[in-house]
Amino acid sequence: MLPSELLAVWKRKGDIWPRYARATEDAMEVANSLIKAYRDHVGEKKSILKAFAAELEDEGHEYRFVRGLAYLLDRRSRFNCNDKISPVELRRRIFQETGKLGLATTLEKRKKITEIVASELKITSQTVDDFLYADLDNELVLEEFEPPTPDELLKEYNLSLTQTLLFDSTELSFTASGNWQRIFHTVKRLGLIYEVYKEGRIWVKIDGPASLFKLTRRYGTSTAKLLPAIIANPEWTIEAKILWRYTNEICNFKLESSKHHTLLKSPHQPIISFDSVVEQEFAEQFQALKTGWQLKREPEPVPAGKQVIIPDFSLEREGVKVYLEIVGFWTLEYLLRKMEKLRKVDANMLIVVNEDLACEKLADLGKNTRLNIIYYRNKVLLAPVLRYLEKASQGTRVAQKEFLKNLSVVFTEPIVEYEEFATRIGVPTEAVKAALAEKPPEEYIVMPSSLVRKDKLEQIKERIEKQMKPTGRLALPDAIRIIESEGVADATKSLETLGYKIVWRGINAEKAEITKP
Amino acid sequence: MIRLWFDKGTILLRGEVGTPYGKWDPRVDSYRIKAMHYGDVLAYLKESKLAFQDDVPNLPPIEHLNPTVELRSYQKEALDKWRQANMRGILVLPTAAGKTYVALKAISQLEKQTLIVVPTLDLIDQWRKRLSDHLNTEAGAVGGGENTVKMITVSTYDSAYLQAETLGNRFLLIVFDEVHHLASPSYMQIAEMYIAPYRMGLTATYERSDERHELLPRLVGDPVYTVGVEELAGEHLSPYTYEKIFVELTPEEQRAYDNNMATFRFYLREKGIVLRSPEDFQKFIMTTGRDRRAREALLSRNRALKIALNSEAKLRLLARQLEANRNEKTLIFTLHNDLVYAISHRFLIPAITYQTPKEERREILENFRKSEYKAIVTSQVLDEGVDVPDASAGYILSGTGSTREYIQRLGRLLRKVEGKRAKLVEIVSKETVEVGISRRRRHKKPMET
Repeated sequence: MLPSELLAVWKRKGDIWPRYARATEDAMEVANSLIKAYRDHVGEKKSILKAFAAELEDEGHEYRFVRGLAYLLDRRSRFNCNDKISPVELRRRIFQETGKLGLATTLEKRKKITEIVASELKITSQTVDDFLYADLDNELVLEEFEPPTPDELLKEYNLSLTQTLLFDSTELSFTASGNWQRIFHTVKRLGLIYEVYKEGRIWVKIDGPASLFKLTRRYGTSTAKLLPAIIANPEWTIEAKILWRYTNEICNFKLESSKHHTLLKSPHQPIISFDSVVEQEFAEQFQALKTGWQLKREPEPVPAGKQVIIPDFSLEREGVKVYLEIVGFWTLEYLLRKMEKLRKVDANMLIVVNEDLACEKLADLGKNTRLNIIYYRNKVLLAPVLRYLEKASQGTRVAQKEFLKNLSVVFTEPIVEYEEFATRIGVPTEAVKAALAEKPPEEYIVMPSSLVRKDKLEQIKERIEKQMKPTGRLALPDAIRIIESEGVADATKSLETLGYKIVWRGINAEKAEITKP
Repeated sequence: MIRLWFDKGTILLRGEVGTPYGKWDPRVDSYRIKAMHYGDVLAYLKESKLAFQDDVPNLPPIEHLNPTVELRSYQKEALDKWRQANMRGILVLPTAAGKTYVALKAISQLEKQTLIVVPTLDLIDQWRKRLSDHLNTEAGAVGGGENTVKMITVSTYDSAYLQAETLGNRFLLIVFDEVHHLASPSYMQIAEMYIAPYRMGLTATYERSDERHELLPRLVGDPVYTVGVEELAGEHLSPYTYEKIFVELTPEEQRAYDNNMATFRFYLREKGIVLRSPEDFQKFIMTTGRDRRAREALLSRNRALKIALNSEAKLRLLARQLEANRNEKTLIFTLHNDLVYAISHRFLIPAITYQTPKEERREILENFRKSEYKAIVTSQVLDEGVDVPDASAGYILSGTGSTREYIQRLGRLLRKVEGKRAKLVEIVSKETVEVGISRRRRHKKPMET
């Protein structure tokens, strides 16, 4: 983060974005020469570094860019006061002497005072002059410097610019893939408030309590601190409202991983670690079992009203999705609060609660909720979890069948692919197939991967008839080509439905033929 | 039942009732109210005879005070006016008129949890000492690395602002020292995010050049008592003499000054830019970010100003003045740190700036108090309220030109100079823009270039 006077932006028609440093020859040159200056001047005064930066500015490089880089390099440096003589002590002596002899209003008087102090401290008058204010910022000596590469420096600069712009933000929305848990922890820790909404993906809007009353930059600093947690993820989009301090207008700021990822320094992404041994054991044993359920650690957040819950696991099979939350140490109050939140969740959620660590009586717990709770000791047993999953999946299948049965769809297209239709209405392909096979729509034939309208099959029949040899036979590959060119995937089943027979000669399909019924 | 509780600088209300100032917050399904309206909301609920549970305040324990404060007549009058205004409002008293004592009396009479908000760390120390001396209580402090909340706590504006989320419900009386600071866009949130129904503002300079003081009545209460330097001078405060000396630049300085100023003016004329107000100037500064020539023009202007401010001729005059008044205890003011150090280095006078280590600064002030040091040269840091002991001569070498600073610098010199007229000298370069700044300081004129 930079001092706000070093923030350089572009602004156009209500949009705003930082003047990011691109890795152009020019920018690399500035970065490189500054890094080199710091490296070459270890052991020398800070004022030399400042003069060097000023020179770069005079050469025509944008001053905020130059100073911004220098600011970041200062943070990688350790400056110290030359410790041969303590300037504080030296000043004390000088001022005491001035107190006695009077202010140094003439050169002679000044000389006299410095000489007295110099001889007392056994140094020269020149040293007195040199060290009198050797502890001022400009006089400090660069002792250690940790050089970045020019590229690193530019990326660090861009990240700092972004954070500095966010100081003036009144709200921020983001969506991300990856470590949500960490983002929400940070949101809480910073005292921010979030709201979740769905717009294609799950979006999170961040502001603070007092944002309700007026536009305020109060939470800008906290929002800026949240940025690294968001962009540590592989994919993200950020949209912020900036209250531009100089003109008092609201500007939009947008940042996307797809466009800006390589511009910014990416903070270290800690490896996802399990919160507890219990969770880790459960995950390992579950996966070893090969049940067909896909286990995912830290799945996407699940909206609960305007808040979210990030369950420990999601388990998914054939379009049935169950979330699983393992609760270790808890108090009744904690659990009740959690349930309050879980009640708002519109998803299938299984809660596994540690019975041993329970601090309160469990008796009332299950009664007044519609939550699904399983208890465990020491470790989570797989059997009850699998039983629950089985039930959920049956329940889901029944519910879906019921749903499809009541769904009166009138198909008009000649071919209806199950998979495409299933995604369209949001149920598993298997369920669609089962429901349609049970009660096929009129005018349609049920095929393994799609419904095909009867007139479509007639068209195919006509084309096959035309191609047939006088013998009344046609090579099987030719027939398949015709069928597939009509957009129907299930060739064999189509031929069968039309009443053709396949005559095999050996096992080579190339030599097979079809005959008329 | 209706329940009220404090949530990070605001109040949340759950229950089937809206209140004045309440706003529905869909994020948390409750009414949210600015903390500053706490008193009004309580009054409303009581008036309406509604049952409610109030979990808002989280107050430190009451300690009993042993006050030993005697007020002068005008201080008593000020306190009465404040009490008549339901213990809200602003008292405008000149520097050294003993604003602190009025507040101390108010605190001891009310005996409720109190937060005192001050502009600087030095003032925290000073207030704590006064509280210890006159109310016999060890006050808590927030700011400068300390963080202890007690019945009476002193905080900087910065800390009170940054920690509003956690401190907002811990006090019932809040005293804003140098209350004109509160009107800034960020600090005003202190007033909004704290529940304290009782509020007192203290200042010598109520009006701000940006007119934002008009916000203060809503935040703290109306100005309920005003008395000026003139009314108190003679009776309670020492009078002073004021003199302005014009100094001509040396010929080289004048040449360099003229050249630089010409560059600046030429640019303005060419672009048709007119700078009439600080806002105009702010806008001009903004253009220097994208326009190299504008930036060069600005740098030329700054160089010219620097020449005028740091003029060798001025330093020579200062030397003569110091020599002629060598028995006076002297304060030298300039806003420019470089000049502070130049003067310190040249005349071997102790310097105090924002860079001075806290310990050294304490020592310098202490030695000045004991007259072991005869002079101090300083930039802004001593500007407000800190006790600088009995100085009898003052020099202003440069300034930014606002009425407030002018009065307060005077006030510092007026303090405790017994039986003797203090002397204030302003040293200004002749025929330069500085004359404009200096005149504006007294008459609030728009900026001239």
